[in-house]
Amino acid sequence: MAIILVVEDDIFVRELAESMIQDWGHTILSASDVPQAMLHLRSGAPIDALFTDVYLKAEILGGCNIAREAILMRPSLRVLYTTANRITDKLHALFAVGTHFLPKPYTEDQLGISIRNLFAT
Amino acid sequence: MAVSDLAASDIVETVPSALLILDRNLNISSANRAFYQTFRTSPGETEGCLIYDLGNRQWDIPALRTLLESVIPHRASVEGFEVEHNFPTIGRRTMLVNARKIFRPGEHDGFILLAIEDVSEERAARKESNRNWQVTQSIVDTIRDPLVVLENDMTIVTASKAFLTMFGITQAEARGRRVSELGQHQWDVPALRNLLDKVLPENKPIESFEIEDDFPGLGRRVFNLNARKIMQPGNHAHRMLLVFEDITYRKQRERDAELLTNEISHRIKNNLQVVVGLIAYEIKSTSAASVPGLKAMQARIGAIAQLYDLISQSSRGGSIAVDAYLREIAKQMSASLIGDKSGIEIRVKAAPLVIDPDRAVPFGLLVNELATNAIKHAFPNGGAGHVLLAVEQVCDDLELVVSDDGIGMQGKVVLDLPEKRGSDYVAIFVRQLGGILTRPTPEGKGTTIHIRLPLMLVPAGGAAPLAA
Repeated sequence: MAIILVVEDDIFVRELAESMIQDWGHTILSASDVPQAMLHLRSGAPIDALFTDVYLKAEILGGCNIAREAILMRPSLRVLYTTANRITDKLHALFAVGTHFLPKPYTEDQLGISIRNLFAT
Repeated sequence: MAVSDLAASDIVETVPSALLILDRNLNISSANRAFYQTFRTSPGETEGCLIYDLGNRQWDIPALRTLLESVIPHRASVEGFEVEHNFPTIGRRTMLVNARKIFRPGEHDGFILLAIEDVSEERAARKESNRNWQVTQSIVDTIRDPLVVLENDMTIVTASKAFLTMFGITQAEARGRRVSELGQHQWDVPALRNLLDKVLPENKPIESFEIEDDFPGLGRRVFNLNARKIMQPGNHAHRMLLVFEDITYRKQRERDAELLTNEISHRIKNNLQVVVGLIAYEIKSTSAASVPGLKAMQARIGAIAQLYDLISQSSRGGSIAVDAYLREIAKQMSASLIGDKSGIEIRVKAAPLVIDPDRAVPFGLLVNELATNAIKHAFPNGGAGHVLLAVEQVCDDLELVVSDDGIGMQGKVVLDLPEKRGSDYVAIFVRQLGGILTRPTPEGKGTTIHIRLPLMLVPAGGAAPLAA
């Protein structure tokens, strides 16, 4: 089972996602903004995957920035982005190579498939 | 008479310019045929006559006196001396006079050869051209958008006042410069250069080319460039009209509107995520029998969120192209086909029709419901299969056809829950759109559903903007 860092500024949405992921047997690390996420990433603790919202209240495109830094620090890290924003080519271009994307709103089934796909590649 | 003299007199008689030979006292020794024809006189009235006395002193012209008495004595030849005079016999004329002193061997007193070319018509044409140019320039100056007229080599022939104001230069400074050299070389863009290069040789106008940059004295600006070839009657040289439309404020309004649309879309979809999450909590604690219905509800909420994106993306308050809309729905549904459904291909065949945003959501949900049913029921054993989403105009109706090549109805008439509810939703959406549903026939391979809807054309004046 994997250790997944979940970054989401909406507490309800984050806790719901975390409970789903925990139900599948994974371990959760939780962050609501960029500084909290960076603390986890810099801590040296093992992290297998990052599941991050792109648009964070304090920082537009905060999720993209976290992912970019995270991959620099941990090149083997799996990344799954999510956002309620429309996916434009411009936004898509900001996603790191080899990463995955799940649009909001997502169901438990869709999140489950995305997490499985994340570790299948 | 020598052979050379004969040849010379032949040449003199043949040349189209009027020729006069004067002696040192300015008496006319001889003239050629062109002179007599042009000035309607004869050898008898001309030869031996002082040039100023010729034709009742009509050649007593101050400019000619200056040439003969002040210029010629000091120079061997004079070319292009322009004389304008009102001749009683032939009217106002402009003449170009070339003069040359001729000396025969052994003679100290030479002759003066005058070649007189009547350039009246050419000068009149030039004046007319100048007048036309001034009219053009005044039109150019009254146009509010900055514009320039360019030569073949992309140098500026003339610029409007708005253009000169924009770049803070004078007409003289603009003339002869290339567009790419203006300002801080903001217009020196390869893509623009390529387009401009095609305007004249290929007669290919530039309809719209946007450039956004910082302009000295103007700040950040967005310009829309339009260029086309202009023809001048009677002139084979072609020029180009290049108009700079300042669309900074329009662009800003569009960006603000897009930002607002995105912000609203973001909030709505975040809230829909909360709703989907609430249903997920219900699923955890409800009976197994209720789970499929609740999951179907989550899927429909997801479909509404996707449709919202498509509508805000494609319309911005205007009509929505059905073909592009169907393709997006198909693309998003295809992306969700996994596992034993991954062999299913969703195809689209759509005529170029438009729908208004008000009816786009029920239309999209109808397509979503029918396609979901096809995916769910037509291929129970997985494998390869096709679902076709088609739209065409039939008389005054729009016909939506959703078909598959799966197992078909196999005699099913009444469907079980929640499929039954799915069919109910289809019926509701069809009613909402004022359409008629043709029930699928149980025979044959696959299932085909036809739905006739009134043409969802945008009313005159455009559709109302999307409600936030």
